[in-house]
Amino acid sequence: MSSSIETDAVIIGAGPVGLFQVFELGLLEIKAHVIDALPIIGGQCMELYPDKPIYDIPALPVCTGKELTDNLLKQIEPFGAQFHLGQEVSMVAQRPDGRFDIHTSADQHFISKTVFIAAGVGAFQPRLVPLDGIDRFDGTQVFYRVKDPEQFLGKNMVICGGGDSALDWALYFADKVNQLTLIHRRDDFKAAPKSVSKMRELCDTGKINLKIGQLAGFEVHDDKLSELLITGIDGAKSSVPCDVILAFFGLSPKLGPIADWGLDIDRKQITVDTEKFQTSTPGIFAVGDINLYPGKKKLILSGFHEAALAAFAAAAYLSPEKTIQLQYTTTSTKLHKVLGVGNTE
Amino acid sequence: MTYVVTESCIRCKYTDCVDVCPVDCFREGPNFLVIDPDECIDCAVCVPECPVNAIYAEDDVPGDQQQFIKINADLASSWTSITKSKGALPDADEWKDVKSKLAELVK
Repeated sequence: MSSSIETDAVIIGAGPVGLFQVFELGLLEIKAHVIDALPIIGGQCMELYPDKPIYDIPALPVCTGKELTDNLLKQIEPFGAQFHLGQEVSMVAQRPDGRFDIHTSADQHFISKTVFIAAGVGAFQPRLVPLDGIDRFDGTQVFYRVKDPEQFLGKNMVICGGGDSALDWALYFADKVNQLTLIHRRDDFKAAPKSVSKMRELCDTGKINLKIGQLAGFEVHDDKLSELLITGIDGAKSSVPCDVILAFFGLSPKLGPIADWGLDIDRKQITVDTEKFQTSTPGIFAVGDINLYPGKKKLILSGFHEAALAAFAAAAYLSPEKTIQLQYTTTSTKLHKVLGVGNTE
Repeated sequence: MTYVVTESCIRCKYTDCVDVCPVDCFREGPNFLVIDPDECIDCAVCVPECPVNAIYAEDDVPGDQQQFIKINADLASSWTSITKSKGALPDADEWKDVKSKLAELVK
């Protein structure tokens, strides 16, 4: 386990609202750590609609999910937030000293004075191989990400999926494993066209065995997964030898453990007040799609507003003796200094 | 509000939507899926997953599909939860472009 990180603020979720929370806290000189289950920054904007246009961000007539994320990252650059990606928050609990313990799936531990839950519709997790009982081979023969490619050399490998992850690994392993089967439900690949044509070449030379169809079952030999059964789109059944499955069926969000953190929940969303966007536990705030209050609308712009008010509430919570002045970035030399712009002497 | 599964799903039931639902609010019948309006959190993640565009926000349900708001609510209470996708119905592709198929709905 790595050593604990002590901080004033932890933000759970690196989507647009989590990123803007960094900005609003930054203006108030509160430094934040950001945790996200995805290996990339941007949340739904990057995972679900990186190239789709968004039309309702104020003062941006149109932008894509990726552009919005890139712009926000540029905007928060002065604040030096630290990102902890590819790990899911498993537990948030209040300590006897009033601060919060936050543990992640990567065994990282934070001790923070405040927590901002900007978790949207939950943590994105890999969609599982849709075969009952195959989960007992998770981590030994069934994998959803590749940590150590060496362990797969010389095996009979099956890769499932038709996106970039599936094809990138298929191209990588094609001449490194004993037999490589690529299974996809239709003969239509979402991966980069260059990868698709390279994959087809490798199929022609017999390096990749391409199967179009659905997984239908599996065989176990000596308590190990030995074969996968496939139903082709024409209904024909076949089987392929299988020591290891790499499954890339995409990701889907799950609310997961948030419900177990002792916060008031209504229809699986975290209830907050509309003055501070604070949860039933003082010091824990919830912003963006994850929260619920009368009149709530799940809009990115609403999340931005919520992040601003939550930041002021957190500043007051952290320093109750101080009066927090609202200052404007147009005129405040203090804010210019914080942002690293203009005449800052 | 809630999201609503409409006529296009009948006799197709591709089930792609089920995997992405963060709150597992889909319910399954013999040849149709519905969304439990008491569980749906209006996140809209399922909408683009449907290959036959059967899912609408309650406020966007087309005029000729309004009855499906009640059909979803009624059937959700008696049908069982489906949380993992499975293959579409075998003749789904033959039914996906059929417009009027409410009479085919098996409750």
